[in-house]
Amino acid sequence: MRALQVLAGLLLLLLPQVVRSDFVLTIFIFTFILGVAAVSFNLIFGFTGQLSMFHAAAFGISAYVTQISMTRFAIPFWGSLGCAVLFVLVVSMIIGTICFRYRLKEFYFAVVTLAFAEMARLVVLNWNSVTNGSLGIALIDKPKLWLPGLGEFTLAGTSTWYYVGLTSLAFTLFVCRRVLNSWVGRCFGAIRLNDELASTLGINVFRYKLLAFAIGNAFAALAGVLYAWYIGYLEPDYLSIPQSLAFISMVLLGGSGSVVGPVVGALVLTALPHIIQLSAEARVMTYGAVLIFTILLLPKGIWGTAAVLLKRLPIAGRAKAAKSSAPSVELR
Amino acid sequence: MSLLSMNALTKRFGGLCAVNEVKFDIEPGEIVAIIGPNGSGKTTLLNLVSGLLPITSGTLLWKGANIGDTSSHERSSFGIVKTFQNPLLFGELTVEEHLRIASHLRFKRELGWRRLAEIVGASRRIRQVHEGIGVHLEEVLRMCRLADKRGTQAESLSYGDEKMLGVAMALMCEPELLLLDEPASGLGQDEVENLDGVLRDLQRSGVTLCIIDHKVGFLGKLADRALAMANGSALAAGRTQDVLRNPLVVEAYLGAGHA
Amino acid sequence: MTQLILGQLINGVIVGTLYGIVAAGITLTFGITGIVNFALGAFMTLGAYMSWYLTDRVGLAFPLAVVLSLLATMVAGVVADQALFRHTRNNLINGLLVSIGLISVMEAGILMTWTATPQEMHFVLPGVLQVGGLVVPKMKGLVALILLAVVLGTYAALTRTWIGRAAFAYAQNPEAARLMGVRTRLLQSGVFVYSVGLAGLGGALYASLYSIDAGFGGTYVLKGIEAAILAGIGSVGGALIGGILLGVAEAIGSIFLPAAYKDAYGLVTLVLILLLKPAGLFGDRK
Repeated sequence: MRALQVLAGLLLLLLPQVVRSDFVLTIFIFTFILGVAAVSFNLIFGFTGQLSMFHAAAFGISAYVTQISMTRFAIPFWGSLGCAVLFVLVVSMIIGTICFRYRLKEFYFAVVTLAFAEMARLVVLNWNSVTNGSLGIALIDKPKLWLPGLGEFTLAGTSTWYYVGLTSLAFTLFVCRRVLNSWVGRCFGAIRLNDELASTLGINVFRYKLLAFAIGNAFAALAGVLYAWYIGYLEPDYLSIPQSLAFISMVLLGGSGSVVGPVVGALVLTALPHIIQLSAEARVMTYGAVLIFTILLLPKGIWGTAAVLLKRLPIAGRAKAAKSSAPSVELR
Repeated sequence: MSLLSMNALTKRFGGLCAVNEVKFDIEPGEIVAIIGPNGSGKTTLLNLVSGLLPITSGTLLWKGANIGDTSSHERSSFGIVKTFQNPLLFGELTVEEHLRIASHLRFKRELGWRRLAEIVGASRRIRQVHEGIGVHLEEVLRMCRLADKRGTQAESLSYGDEKMLGVAMALMCEPELLLLDEPASGLGQDEVENLDGVLRDLQRSGVTLCIIDHKVGFLGKLADRALAMANGSALAAGRTQDVLRNPLVVEAYLGAGHA
Repeated sequence: MTQLILGQLINGVIVGTLYGIVAAGITLTFGITGIVNFALGAFMTLGAYMSWYLTDRVGLAFPLAVVLSLLATMVAGVVADQALFRHTRNNLINGLLVSIGLISVMEAGILMTWTATPQEMHFVLPGVLQVGGLVVPKMKGLVALILLAVVLGTYAALTRTWIGRAAFAYAQNPEAARLMGVRTRLLQSGVFVYSVGLAGLGGALYASLYSIDAGFGGTYVLKGIEAAILAGIGSVGGALIGGILLGVAEAIGSIFLPAAYKDAYGLVTLVLILLLKPAGLFGDRK
């Protein structure tokens, strides 16, 4: 398993050198960036069991905050990004505290986060002086980056964005994996399976739900900024319900039982509309149909089902032989 | 000083008074029984002690300190752990995985804030703690006679084993006071004997036990002292045999004719 | 001013009964099938488009069109129930997500069939009534009355008929109801289709008065849920009344308060209600 991971990593690293097609690379870029959002959503939903409808709001708010911070406070891009993530963290802590202090479960949590997301969207939509309302904002200035050895260069061009996306996704996966493999991840799982029991076993359910919500939204914030500056256009629809649904679909399609599953979902949902040319409505219909299909027929998602099938083969058996003292992060 | 002290402990649900000014003390190292007919408030009382329900009025002292305002997970960390009559379980996980999760409190106690290191990478200290937990886990499995079922999924367990798993999880939390809500209900005779053995082992290892049950025979043999309740109020308290023979208690259980 | 208030009152009643219908549908569906059907709004949209299409494009008489729309919606409901929701009984998250997926499918389908242009039905019953110096458009008044009748009829059906009481009993205690001979599966499907049909009927009537677009049902769902939670999940009568009150409050309120943030007021109220009214009724259903 480890060898496969390293191999996959190398392939991805070298891809732009081998493949010149912008079309293919663009699909990967979107997969990476949206993958960050999907993987972080899964932290809240798949691993901790909370259906948050706020993810798209975090995604969009951070992009707007970054833009405002750059144009109104003249803070350079990376500083603004930091501010945006911080802002989203604070907002998440507030909303999360409200929701979890009142012990909102399942459906109620989804509705309340949806309500907050909608409120945020309405503010963005109507606060024309700051956000330009439904017209959106064109982001023409590409951010600059200084790296030792390479000097300063502009984040423009497919190749550059490819590596930005890949790095971000790798970072997200790394952090999620580390968190989930620790006692924090065990608490998340316990809360997902039976939060009442988790509480009697000494787990501070409020604290860990809040943590999952905050971390998840923070990464969504990162993804939102990258996405906005990549496509060069920012609009209120970033915070819309269909956007949250897109993230949910990616997670369900790819598989909510693993850290990397949502990336597969992101890949399929990004690539599909480009491979099969569809009208906007047909695309929406496909999203809905895919969601339904996945829930009813493929509950573990593509990656999850594949993983189960692979386990039946003798190869995978050896990889699982090493008995570690801490339980593995892959769920059933 | 008593381990646990209840003074005028009261719980009201709207107009209904489920627990009415109960006064009772539990001393360290003993096994106490709480008996009474259905609806007498026994489970509610235990829920008040473990923090699942907020207290309406009265005080609850743990080693002299007032814990009335603390939450259930905080009380678990103090050492007050409760099991459930119908065990709460993590569905698809195995027995061993349940106990792994239940080791959270010990992990937290042994490392404190240093447990953050586990996110960055397992240090030697953390590995040591995990090994210690592993040893503890084996011991609990053995004590609860669940060692051969460690890989079984919780949903496939028999009812008796489910209840044992509940006790085992509570043990992983290293309780000082273990509250058991009808641990013997639904168990067959040999399972009850099994349970009796486990609980005696527990007492020997220093855990204080407080048990609710209807199996008066089982409790009579096991418990040193008892509290009898009816309609939310304490009816009698004292040595188990004395309480069981108390005419008020007999009347509450069996009706006036038998007193 | 009185004219304005009367006009808004009627608007509020119409909108409110639609909220109430959705709210009642949500409560019923949750009580009997254990899921929340977000797609009720989409079925309302379907009913609206069908009635508009049959009246304006096909040329049928409006009452006939309404009946056919109702039937069409119910058929769609049966299909959705048997193909999809039958597999998500009592699985709240799955049912929720499937219903959300269904919304996308249905709304997109409507868009593809009838384009995104909002549609308006020609006047079915033109003209106005003069009531003591105030003007009431005939059609609006009629629709308001019909909708109120439907709402009352639903309430009566639930409290007085055998089916209604069976549904109530089942919601309280599924095991006991089953033992007493209530046909569970039939009841669940029946309730689902009934709530969908109500939504379709509401939409069909709505189309005679206002212009419709593919997404209009969606806004009603959130409000309907708000009304249902306001009333307390499990109380169908409360849901119906709550919906009407909400609609009237919004309509009258929009005379005095800025309309752009109207939806936000509802959302804020929703959050406050959920926080202050403990999730007891929802959580208590074991």
